[in-house]
Amino acid sequence: MALLSNEPIARGISEAALAASIERSGEGSIPVRARYEALARFAALPASEFARPGRSWKHDLAKLDFSALVPFDPQGHAAHNGIAPALPPAGVTVEPFSRARADHRAAFEAAFGRALDAGDDKFASLAVAFQNQGTFVDLAAGVQLDVPIVLSYEARGDAACFPYTLVHVGVGARATVLERLEGGPAGAFYCGLTEIVVEERGRLAYAVVQRTGSQARTIFTRRASLAADATLELAVAELGGEHAVSRIRVAENAAGSSAALTALFFSDGRQHVDLATEIVHVMGNTQSQTHVRSAGTDHGQGRYFGNIKILASAHGADALLRDNALLLSPDAHIDSVPALEIAANDVKAFHGATVGAISEDELFYAQSRGITRADAERMIALGFFEPAVVRFPGEGLRDELRASLAAKLSQRIAPA
Amino acid sequence: MTQRGLRISGLRAAVEGKEILKGIDLQLEPGSIHALMGPNGSGKSTLAFSLTGHPSYEVTAGSATLDGLDILGLAPDKRAKAGLFLSFQYPAAIPGVSVANFVRAARQAVRPDDLPPAKFRQLIYSQLDALDMDHALLPRYLNDGFSGGEKKRLEMLQLAMLQPKYAILDETDSGLDVDALRAVGSSVNAQRATAQDDAAGFLIITHYPRILQYVRPDAVHIMIDGRIVQSGGPELADVIERDGYDAFREEVAGGVA
Ligand SMILES: Nc1ncnc2c1ncn2[C@@H]1O[C@H](COP(=O)(O)OP(=O)(O)OP(=O)(O)O)[C@@H](O)[C@H]1O
Ligand SMILES: [Mg+2]
Repeated sequence: MALLSNEPIARGISEAALAASIERSGEGSIPVRARYEALARFAALPASEFARPGRSWKHDLAKLDFSALVPFDPQGHAAHNGIAPALPPAGVTVEPFSRARADHRAAFEAAFGRALDAGDDKFASLAVAFQNQGTFVDLAAGVQLDVPIVLSYEARGDAACFPYTLVHVGVGARATVLERLEGGPAGAFYCGLTEIVVEERGRLAYAVVQRTGSQARTIFTRRASLAADATLELAVAELGGEHAVSRIRVAENAAGSSAALTALFFSDGRQHVDLATEIVHVMGNTQSQTHVRSAGTDHGQGRYFGNIKILASAHGADALLRDNALLLSPDAHIDSVPALEIAANDVKAFHGATVGAISEDELFYAQSRGITRADAERMIALGFFEPAVVRFPGEGLRDELRASLAAKLSQRIAPA
Repeated sequence: MTQRGLRISGLRAAVEGKEILKGIDLQLEPGSIHALMGPNGSGKSTLAFSLTGHPSYEVTAGSATLDGLDILGLAPDKRAKAGLFLSFQYPAAIPGVSVANFVRAARQAVRPDDLPPAKFRQLIYSQLDALDMDHALLPRYLNDGFSGGEKKRLEMLQLAMLQPKYAILDETDSGLDVDALRAVGSSVNAQRATAQDDAAGFLIITHYPRILQYVRPDAVHIMIDGRIVQSGGPELADVIERDGYDAFREEVAGGVA
């Protein structure tokens, strides 16, 4: 039964809403039973908090009210799902997620669920239940793709956006993928998943640029699994939204794999960014680097939980975690909790964290060259992000990030 | 007609409530070079920071004018725009900001729009060459991981790119090798000797007479405990090299007694 356009829009998260959603869009790539199970888990699981929110933190995941949420658009144009290139070259599949199981069954099943098990996470489960956007990207063994694959997701109208991005990089294949989260009207809700599987000797650069509207809420879970000698460069920029939650976990499951994880955010206005990263060294001779740069201005709030987990089986693992936070206003606040859990011997693990304001000596140095204090602050703050920005793929993207950060810096309320 | 020169009179300054400069009088004419010498901690850098407006240094009395303009009430960037430059004893590093971008921003700030990008590039390359500096420094982050000598050369590069009216070189010679010292000497001499109207004045803070072989000072001042206790010709530098500061310290003690 197709819903009529004048039928009232279903609000709230419920089995009835899920049933209506499935009826509207068909089964898709996630089996119906799995969706209902996911919905049940969403209802049952607590919202996992990695760090206790500070006093100035205003968005509590456990207290979100979904009664007004529109989980799908009865008219079916809820979501804008952009994919480039339109005609991928041989050996490269770029397909809307919902059609992936039907059209690319073997490839889809070889990847789906290998890096991501939504079973332990409330919002990952929600994203599975209501998945309504997404992309399946598959690279056959040995394929070398030089142009980046660009995926963009945007909430339209009242309906929430639940994208599932599944990327499978075959043995010895190489690619760059850019995931963009954009736009969204006031109150827009994004809750999504990214699952990345890189096979032996595969190389993937995966970048996320979250630039949703200033009143959007985004909650994303991203998980990657690396095979022997696989390389992943994962770079995430959380720039937009009013409340952005970003949870990343990379598992290095075989010797020789290497992960470089970069994240940056800049909380301005009343923005809240909640970032957690975890690298799990499952086997030995695995390497990882985590670089996080965050800044806060105005009443911006941020928190970061960064974990490096080296299992007992991971002798010879080499991990580095660096996290630097910059506070540009007295009302901005960033909490940072780096952690190391090491169960193996003979490992190298380093972590270093700083939180601070712009140094007066740097400001004075720039001012002594004729640069105004305001310009000097902007220049130094932009420079602060630069070591993270240079880890994103492509000069065009890097310039875009610099421009976004610069715009935030010029818009910030000048401290009294 | 305003009085040209960097004119400092009765300047007193304090750091964290403690008086360091106890009345400094000094006149630096365009095209002249003065050397300022004195033992560690005597207040030489404090004078440099007080003149350039470092927020930690509080001027409590006296005046300083640059070609007639009272600079003490100005923000540091305004002083730079008026033509004042400090080559730092310990230049700050600004990670993430490239040398090229920084120098470009500084040039833009001090002399807006006077050089199109291509001309700017030409100029910075020729100045790098003059200072025997590697062009590969340009994309590097400002002073980040630079050697002591590289930092000092970068100060000189900025001096050459900004062409101030009055420059204070705070121990720029310390840490420089002989070749760099010679390059600094010719750079200073060139800027001092430009057309009369543009000739720059230099206050060279140093511990060693060596740099004064390359740039012949018109005057040498000795600072002890926040005061200039003696001024004289270049020969004063050699006296200090030979006898140290003890004789001058006694003068201070005698004067105070
Ligand atoms: N920012 C500061 N905080 C505290 N004390 C300071 C500061 N700057 C200068 N001082 C003190 O003021 C005095 C003069 O210091 P200054 O740096 O001017 O000496 P200087 O003549 O440049 O010495 P040097 O030859 O070692 O460079 C010293 O006793 C120093 O400790
Ligand atoms: Mg000094």
